[in-house]
Amino acid sequence: MTIRNALRDHGQRYRPRMSCLRKVEKVLLEMQDPNTGVKSQPQRLVITTIPHAITGEDIVAWLADRFQIEAQEAKNFGSVLVALGYIYPLQDHKRLVIKADASLYRFQTPYFWPTQQWPVEDTDYAIYLAKRNIRKKGILELHEQEQYNRLHKWMNHKWDFIVMQAKEQYRAAKERKKPDRVVFDCQERAYWVVHRPPPGTVSAMDYGLDRRTDPNAVEVTDKALYKCKPFTIYHGRKHYFLPVRCVTDSELFSCRLVKYCATYSGHDPFLSKCLPSNPWLTDDTTYWSLNMPNVEIPSKMRVERWTFSFKELLSDPRGRDDFRLFLKKEFSGENLAFWEGCEDLKWGTAATMKEKAEQIYKTFLARGAPRWINIDGKTMEITVKGLKHPHRYVLDAAQTHIYMLMKKDSYGRYLKSPVFKDTMKKEQAAQPQPHRHPATGAGAEGQDGPEQGGSPSSS
Amino acid sequence: MGKEECKTMLDALNKVTACYRHLVIALGSTSDSQNLREELKKTRKKAQELAVANRTKLTSLLKDKSISKEDRAEYERLWVLFSSSMELLEVDMKRSLEIGQDFPLKVPTRHLIQTGMTGSTNAVAARAMSVQNMKYEADSNVDTADLSELQTEITQVSQMMEEMEMKVQVAPWAVVAKQEAGAELKSNMSVGNSSVGVISIEGGLASIGAVVGFFVIVAVALVLGYLVI
Repeated sequence: MTIRNALRDHGQRYRPRMSCLRKVEKVLLEMQDPNTGVKSQPQRLVITTIPHAITGEDIVAWLADRFQIEAQEAKNFGSVLVALGYIYPLQDHKRLVIKADASLYRFQTPYFWPTQQWPVEDTDYAIYLAKRNIRKKGILELHEQEQYNRLHKWMNHKWDFIVMQAKEQYRAAKERKKPDRVVFDCQERAYWVVHRPPPGTVSAMDYGLDRRTDPNAVEVTDKALYKCKPFTIYHGRKHYFLPVRCVTDSELFSCRLVKYCATYSGHDPFLSKCLPSNPWLTDDTTYWSLNMPNVEIPSKMRVERWTFSFKELLSDPRGRDDFRLFLKKEFSGENLAFWEGCEDLKWGTAATMKEKAEQIYKTFLARGAPRWINIDGKTMEITVKGLKHPHRYVLDAAQTHIYMLMKKDSYGRYLKSPVFKDTMKKEQAAQPQPHRHPATGAGAEGQDGPEQGGSPSSS
Repeated sequence: MGKEECKTMLDALNKVTACYRHLVIALGSTSDSQNLREELKKTRKKAQELAVANRTKLTSLLKDKSISKEDRAEYERLWVLFSSSMELLEVDMKRSLEIGQDFPLKVPTRHLIQTGMTGSTNAVAARAMSVQNMKYEADSNVDTADLSELQTEITQVSQMMEEMEMKVQVAPWAVVAKQEAGAELKSNMSVGNSSVGVISIEGGLASIGAVVGFFVIVAVALVLGYLVI
């Protein structure tokens, strides 16, 4: 019995979309056509004759003709068909390539086709190995033997079922006539050569990591949803112009991503020039000294970033200092202090948590506290109740409330305040330095001193 | 005794699951036919009856609090057997729905995959239904009504499995298998001429034929030579 997770899980467990499979299936159906498809011939064995064997050269010729491509490309395409498991070789079954000669191949039955939505189960592989054990009395390849032992260890609770099922499947297969039995064995063997190749093989089924969302879950087939319309909304005093009406999650995400890239592209030292110069190229560390966490005078780009969002401002230590200064002038510094205390609690060591929580309560939350913060009654109730058994996230509700308060209220005022304007006046505009090769540049490239007035002077 | 009954019923379910899987593998290939679809339907129904019977039996046994520890362990083992069978059945049913939809039979030009299998599967189905011969009804709507029935059955089975998981408190990882690794090697199933073995000697067939022919000729020559002398 496998454990199913009935709750929503956020793990990555879906195989990626393999859209090539549907396309290959179409091609395969075309190959079946009695008139225009690939010509088949019977395969003669010792006692039996099995129909529907096709030669490699026929396949390659058909592909070259159908797609109007060169023979070499048709051969590559044929090899892809074999590697994916839609056609399997009858001789030399372990090498999944197509040989453009008289070697024989056969089509695989639809049950054994690779599908995106049905992953290959270890249970089935265990049953197959057990069946092979029964039939061949224990002659398994080395990697199969290893897999067998591994599966026996990890699927031990199902092992009885596996053995029982293997025996029953073996008996069921014996009910068929000889040629069908042969074909069935070949099919199954080919399936497992594709999906459980020996270790170290480059397989067509390799796909990297599992994905977070199920590619089969929602298929938007309504073409109308993909039309891009200009869409304006009026909000406050600003017009927002959205070029695309986003309807699905992935489209919303890509809109946000595009917006993020547009905003930050000028600030990215990879995408745009790094002023004054990239220290890795010129060995000039001015860039780093100008952008130190607690530098006295921040650079222009840095100050610009503070205006992007409140989160940017708070995450930059120099920005936070500036904001703290502003709040002090407004006599609402306790908000930021409380927020910092909560962060400290969240990220601190477990041993100090209890004292920290008590300290915060005494300073900010208790009635008549020296730096009492203004949060609504409900949040206060929840927080005080939680503080009886303090844990890392006990102050989360209050912290969020204060954060939103600061963001909606103080942040706007900060951007218009004299403190900020002062900082903007003082900010340095770093000058671009000519790129000097570290081997040749003997003299140090000094940086211009801090500029007074906002405009960068040309150097 | 409850245990023996359970075991026989589970064996039956196991057999039907194996046969159903064998039949689904033949879907969409040249051995597909109306008969096959009917066989699938009948096998499915039999599997469901057995599943329901097994479930009621096992749940009643597991709910009984007054059983000994060994008994309980045994019933848990049987429960794991049962749920694994059901999982296989569910997957096979879903796949048969998909493949059945992709390869409709009642169309002017059937496009079935030429897999080399041309024989019929009634022996397998007869084994599943535990009858000597299968009887078929002339059913005309094998593509539409049958598939929609299949869909409802699939939802029923999925619901049953969810119920099973929620209501029965069995820890599957705690079950210890009775069979050790390689148990099937000691099984006394007749190997017969292994069919894949036939394939592997096919390549060397020509050489074997030549060797055999050579010995025959040498034997004849010896006999003749002896006679001459």
